[in-house]
Formats: sequence, structure tokens, C-alpha cells
Amino acid sequence: MTLTPPPPGRAEILTWLAGLGPRPPDAERLDSMELAWLVHQVEQQYGVALDDDQLERMSTIDDAVAVLAEVLTSHV
Amino acid sequence: MSRDAVVVPGATLGAEWVDDVLLAGPDDEVCFRLPDPIDRLNLRRLVLGRQTELAQSGFRPGGAVALRLPPSMAFVTHLLAIWRGGGQAILLDHRLTDYEVRRAIERLVPQVVVSPERPVQSGLRTFVEVDTDLASYSGHPAGTSHAVVQLSSGSTGPSKVIGRTADDLVTEVLRYTQIDGVPQRGERLILLPSMVHVLGLVGGLLYGLHAGVELQPPARLTGDAIVQAIGAATTPATVLGVPFHIGLLASVQDPPWLPQFKRMTTGGELVQAAVSRAFEEKYGVPLGNMYGMTEVGVIGTDLYGAHRPAIRPAPGISVRVVDGELQVARAESPYLGLSDPTRWSDGWLHTRDAGVVDSQTGLVSIKGRLDSQVSVGGLKVDLTEVEAALSSLRGVEAAVVAFDGAITAYVQLNQPRSLVDLEAELAQQLATYKRPRSVHLLNQLPRTTTGKLVRDVSTLRKAVS
Repeated sequence: MTLTPPPPGRAEILTWLAGLGPRPPDAERLDSMELAWLVHQVEQQYGVALDDDQLERMSTIDDAVAVLAEVLTSHV
Repeated sequence: MSRDAVVVPGATLGAEWVDDVLLAGPDDEVCFRLPDPIDRLNLRRLVLGRQTELAQSGFRPGGAVALRLPPSMAFVTHLLAIWRGGGQAILLDHRLTDYEVRRAIERLVPQVVVSPERPVQSGLRTFVEVDTDLASYSGHPAGTSHAVVQLSSGSTGPSKVIGRTADDLVTEVLRYTQIDGVPQRGERLILLPSMVHVLGLVGGLLYGLHAGVELQPPARLTGDAIVQAIGAATTPATVLGVPFHIGLLASVQDPPWLPQFKRMTTGGELVQAAVSRAFEEKYGVPLGNMYGMTEVGVIGTDLYGAHRPAIRPAPGISVRVVDGELQVARAESPYLGLSDPTRWSDGWLHTRDAGVVDSQTGLVSIKGRLDSQVSVGGLKVDLTEVEAALSSLRGVEAAVVAFDGAITAYVQLNQPRSLVDLEAELAQQLATYKRPRSVHLLNQLPRTTTGKLVRDVSTLRKAVS
């Protein structure tokens, strides 16, 4: 049996973003490259593709935490 | 296709170059896979249709048309139609704000502006479907005989608007054909960079059309989608992108065996050694590097990754280093209007990149920028443009914009304003990719004893804390 990991929290998302390179610690807004990187990470680690509406709602890190919690919880 | 060649006022090359260099080839040869194939016959028909639409909107030979479109067949067909109609295409990145577009239109007076009919929700798609709206503007001819006009970051002041003639574009397309390692007829190019910018435009779209290489954008900009695009056919596939895309592919978990994957080539900025190593270990294909500029196109390449991080000047390109700056031979200034002699003089383009040319091998090493231009995901941003935009906002006494892994702004106010208001107002003026990732409000910006603003990042950070 494969256990699906729980949805990522803020700290985990920041760790993913760190994979792209240095980022200002107080930057809350996600740029388009970071958004693409997050979506890619979710595909790789959860096997889930996010749709356009979900992407539209992910403009900050807190938005991303909320949307991923919703999407990945319902996915489980 | 009819051979009713249009005479292009002021140009040495008639509009038949579009047919001869880009659209010629067997009717059934596939040009695009979106994923449905579009062959040359279909492409020619689409271009002819666009020519009719543009003419009905007031476009005439020698006139300019501004394209404010995301990468799409609408962009491709309008671009070819403008050129085939003997006109000048002004390429405006679709991410520019209305303010930025208005300023460009006021300066360049196009006859027609082509925009999406309604806002495009592109998500992570690299190629979208759009219906277009054609707005008629002036009846003026274009100010110059350039075939394409592009804006560098910061559209005011001299040497900010770049023009290239049809001759120059054709020369670059033919230059690509002489570079060992580029995709060949019948092969595929998985195109990731925007066609509005020089790498995707000439290295992707124009070379692909000329050489009979199928252009295939992935369905989305994720690692899995790029892998799927490579694996979608058995013909050899080259991926063209920027370093960010290497990271996507390098972090795909357990990719399938892809014997058709031939090479990945990136431009834009240097690639970290660890990232390139991870990529090559995972896929076992060469990771090539290209170096170029909007003003020239491709300047040098290392498509086999044999000289990393150095590159070899492309065929027909002459370079030299003066006072540490790399310069490229260029007979005419590529700039519209006033030409800044520190950007182009006496037949040499000043790249503003620090460079070293090895006298034995001729290889060129790029050592970084000599000015305030930075690269954000392959897009060039001039920090002085960001600083000027911030400084123009009501209530801003002074601003310093620095790059410390991201664009960061430090602002001193002369009247109370909230950060939210400032950022919202800035968003009206600057495209998202140019905007600071963080803005710090300071009572007093650090200054030197002579009153100049301090730009040292560690000093600015200390002032915040």
C-alpha cells in the first residue's frame, strides 16, 4: 500500500521554492516561474495536475497552502 | 501561394523573402504540432487570410502593425502576414501593462494593433488559442524599414527600441543552418521560450519554418508535460529553453526512456554546474548553451556542452573585447531614433557584458553584466526602469532597486502612503516580471557623505533591519 503524503505546509512550500535559488525571505507573492515550479513539484510528488482555476487562486504562498490543502485532501 | 511580391519602401529585400525563406516546402510538411498537425499548405492559407484581415483594418505596405499577443497561431500567422504584406511588426510582450503598451504605441505609431479579443487565461500553457481584435490606429507609414521592432526593458531614452531588417533576420536564419548541432529537417523542436523574444522567434519559429523542423510546444510548462512532448513521436527531439526549464527536467522523477531525445539547448543565462550535471546524468543527452542578444540574435553557441561555460562565436559573427566589455561587429546601429554611442559606435555593438576572448581558441567567456540589467526567468529587466517607475509614484522621495536573487526595492517616502497602495499603483505601470518581489519602506535611504544613494545590498539590508 502506498501512503499519500499530507498536503505541503508553508515551510515545505518554501523549501520547494528554495530549489529555484535564493528568494527574499519576506516575499509573499509568487511569480509565474515559482508558480510553474510549485505545480511541477505537486505533479512529481503527488501525481496531481492542477487546473487553471486553481492556478489563478495561487498568487501568494498562503494561497498556495490553502489551494493545495483543498486539492490534495480531496484527492486523497 | 501567389507570388505578388510586395515592394517594401526603403528595404533592400522585397516581401517575397517570407515565401522563399520561411513558407517554401512541400504542402504536406508539418510545421506545428499543437498537438494537431498544421502543415505548410494550411499555414499558407492562414497567412493569406490574415493579410486580408490586416488590409481591411488599414494596414498598407510600409506600415507597422503592433502584435500584443501571447505565443499562439494567431501570433505566428499575423507576424508572417505583416511581413508578407511588406510591413513592420512591432512585438509587444503580452505581459506588458496597458501603460507600457500605450507608451510604445505613441512612440511607434502602428497602423493596426492586434490584441486578444478577450483576456487570455493561459495558466501554464506555453502556446494558447486566441481570437484577435484588430484596432485601426494611424495612417502613417512605419518610421523605419525594419521588419521587426522589439522593446528592451525601459522603453524611454536612446537605444531602447531595437529594429532588425528582413536581410538581418534572413542572415540569422541562415547562420543557424551553419551551426553544428541544430535540429534538422523532419526533426522536432520542443519550444519553451516565448516567440516574442529573439531566442524563440528566430532560433525557434523562423529557423524551424526555414529548415522544415516541426515546432511542438508542450501542453503545459511542467516537467511531465515536456517529457510527454518529447515522447509524443519517434522523430528526434531537441528541447529549446532557458535554465529554469533544465531544472524542471532535471527534477522529473523516473522519466521514461526517451531514445528520441537528442539535445537540450538553453539561452538566457549561465547554468549552474550541479544542475547541468543532474540533467545530463538523468537523460544522457548533451546540454547545449547559446548566447545572444535582441539586437543581434545568436552570437555564440556550445551545443555539445564541450566548452562550458565558454561559447564559440557563431559563423559570420566577429567579436572583440574592449576595456573588459564584449563587443560584436554590427555595420548599422540596431536602435531606432537616437543611438547612444555607449551602446553602438563605429560598427561595433557594445554588449555591456563583461567578456574574455581566448586568443588561442577564439572561445568567448561571459563574466556577467556591466550595467543594471538582470535576467528574470530569461526575461531581461533593467533595474533603472523599475527604479524610475517607483520614483515617479506620488509620495516617493527616492527609491533604490537592487537584485539579490530577486528584484528588491528600498523606498523613502515624503508623505504617508501604504505599501499596498504603492504596489498597486506600480502594477499599473510595470509588467509583473519587472516588479519588485519585495518593497521596503525606510524613513531614510542610506546615502554617501556626498548625498548619493547607496546601492550596496548589504548596506540596504542592514538599513531595513
